[in-house]
Amino acid sequence: MIRPARAAALALAGALLLGGCAAGTAGRPPGGTDTAARCGAGTVAAPRGDPEPVASPETPRLPVTVRSADGRDVTVRDARRVLAVNLYGSLAEIVHGLGLGDRLVGRDVSTTFPAARHLPLVTGQGHDLSAEGVLKLNPSVVIADRSIGPPEALEQLRRSGVPVVLVDDRQTLDAIGPHIGAVAEALGVPGAGRALADRVRDRIGAAAKSAPRDRPTVAFLYVRGTVGVYLIGGDGAGSDAMIEAVGATDAGTAIGLSGFRPITSEGLINAAPDVLLVMTAGLKSVGGVSGLIKLPGIAQTPAGRNRRIIDVDDGTLLSFGPRTGETISALAAAVYRTCG
Amino acid sequence: MTRGAVLLGGLGVALAVLCLVAASVGQVNVPPDQVIGSILHRVGLDVGPRPTALRGDDALWVVRFPRVALAVVTGAALGCSGTVMQGVFGNPLAEPAVIGVSWGAAVGAATVIVFGLTVLGDWTIVAAAFGCGLGTTLLVYTVSRFAGRTEVVTLLLTGIAVNAVASALLGLLMFAAGNDALRAITAWNLGSLAGANWGAVATVTPLAAAGCAVAFGCARRLDLLSLGERTARHLGVDVERLRFTAIVVIALLTSSAVAFAGVIAFVGLVVPHLIRMVVGPGHRTLIPASALGGAVVLVAADLVARTAIAYQELPLGVLTALIGGPFFFWLLRRARSGSGGWA
Repeated sequence: MIRPARAAALALAGALLLGGCAAGTAGRPPGGTDTAARCGAGTVAAPRGDPEPVASPETPRLPVTVRSADGRDVTVRDARRVLAVNLYGSLAEIVHGLGLGDRLVGRDVSTTFPAARHLPLVTGQGHDLSAEGVLKLNPSVVIADRSIGPPEALEQLRRSGVPVVLVDDRQTLDAIGPHIGAVAEALGVPGAGRALADRVRDRIGAAAKSAPRDRPTVAFLYVRGTVGVYLIGGDGAGSDAMIEAVGATDAGTAIGLSGFRPITSEGLINAAPDVLLVMTAGLKSVGGVSGLIKLPGIAQTPAGRNRRIIDVDDGTLLSFGPRTGETISALAAAVYRTCG
Repeated sequence: MTRGAVLLGGLGVALAVLCLVAASVGQVNVPPDQVIGSILHRVGLDVGPRPTALRGDDALWVVRFPRVALAVVTGAALGCSGTVMQGVFGNPLAEPAVIGVSWGAAVGAATVIVFGLTVLGDWTIVAAAFGCGLGTTLLVYTVSRFAGRTEVVTLLLTGIAVNAVASALLGLLMFAAGNDALRAITAWNLGSLAGANWGAVATVTPLAAAGCAVAFGCARRLDLLSLGERTARHLGVDVERLRFTAIVVIALLTSSAVAFAGVIAFVGLVVPHLIRMVVGPGHRTLIPASALGGAVVLVAADLVARTAIAYQELPLGVLTALIGGPFFFWLLRRARSGSGGWA
């Protein structure tokens, strides 16, 4: 539970940060729920700084043979040059969190924490690896998951004799621990893995506990451009786990959708979300909050009427990595923020 | 020496040089002499320098060689199928992608990708592309022929209709597809050799080689066919059989090109025309020269596609269409004035 004084302080900080939140609250309906009536638009920023390494780093004990998520047994003999890449940047964060950040030799486009930002980029177009670009870095082990490809490039790396360990890519809070465990095992540092997984679990638990849980309906919308086509996150999309972690109801799951599905304007009105969660870059592409509200269907939802739009840094929400606890805290703060 | 022999020799040398250049350019630095050295060492001759770059040998044998090889095979198949198609349709604007055969084959392959079919192992995707490609070719051929001729307008309009249906089906498949399949289909629509591996090369090479060989065997009869169907028949050509053989060859060549590289437009259009300008319309030179020319164009285009922007791939099909599209405009205008209006 957030104590009233602290909530007010948070709200005040938020208000100062965003230059006031009076915009667009005039059309507030008289019968809005408590959450719907909270203060307008907000932002969940990406966590700053480097992922915190475990207190007691281990020296890798190699070789190890691990079962990769694609069912193969992979033997890692050398973990001095590590390439950990996926769509979300979470694998590189895990390696850094295990205290092996200085062994990373390259990064994906989502890995932007300061200690890794100088590393050469191996993904040109979002999540497509270039086999030659990877070979040039001469990694001794590649850790990836199915969110990055193409499978042919990974196959080419295997044929070149580079051990490729795939981690399963379930996008849930419960999967973070096993992901950390799998990475730690592949790098021969199982003890550091347990320590990191415990810390992450504790932080997520603490963040989830601090949310008020008055169950507003939150919809995660993927919008790009102004053509009136939205994708909504449903059951298993990853966004559902984050929304439920802050004690809210996922609008997509509530209307029976799974994964990311296209939703029509009318479908969105029927889903009646109290809060809309969108990606920062997506929001920018439609012209900010006022541009989003002009799109068909948005203004007719409680969230649109109250300008309850929260944007979250691209990649932060769905990264499910060592800093997910921090993201949940920030998300809860944005969802339950009051105008004071 | 005849002009044709000079052209064939020249194209052969150009292809060999280009392959060597393509194999030596990339993110991992391996100069041409080390490429040759690596090949010689692989076949057991202990001469020449080995690649000095870290992982240089892997970059060559796992990434670049299969890619260059696939470019050669795909380019040859496209050039050859374009030539045969123009010969049998009696129409200079026939081209696998323009009249929809490539897209038809793409629908077959995308179906296999989306539903994860593996009935025939590695060959499933090729077989599906071939089946759909054959069906589309037959359809276009029967629909666009009228009174023994294929009119330009009818052919192009048929192509538009076939492309519309095929892209609708592709759209439907993309709607139904999961993330991985979606990525594969998109890469395919744009055409790319990024996924090249030895398995793909081994799968399409025999098909493309067989197609080119049969096409070459038909060269004489295709020459006679260009005199007109009736004349050809009087000269002893079994026109119906020739037509059927040619259609199967076109489907075979197009589907073997499409199966792993996706839709790469205009190579089959531009190359035979350029060759014809040099050596004239005789198919006995035209067919092998178009195959070599197609390979040269595709190896060069792929070299640009993968090296123009570091770490990124330009879509190959987009690149060829950018160059081939204007050529098509020019050809269209010429065909119009040549036949005195829209024939």
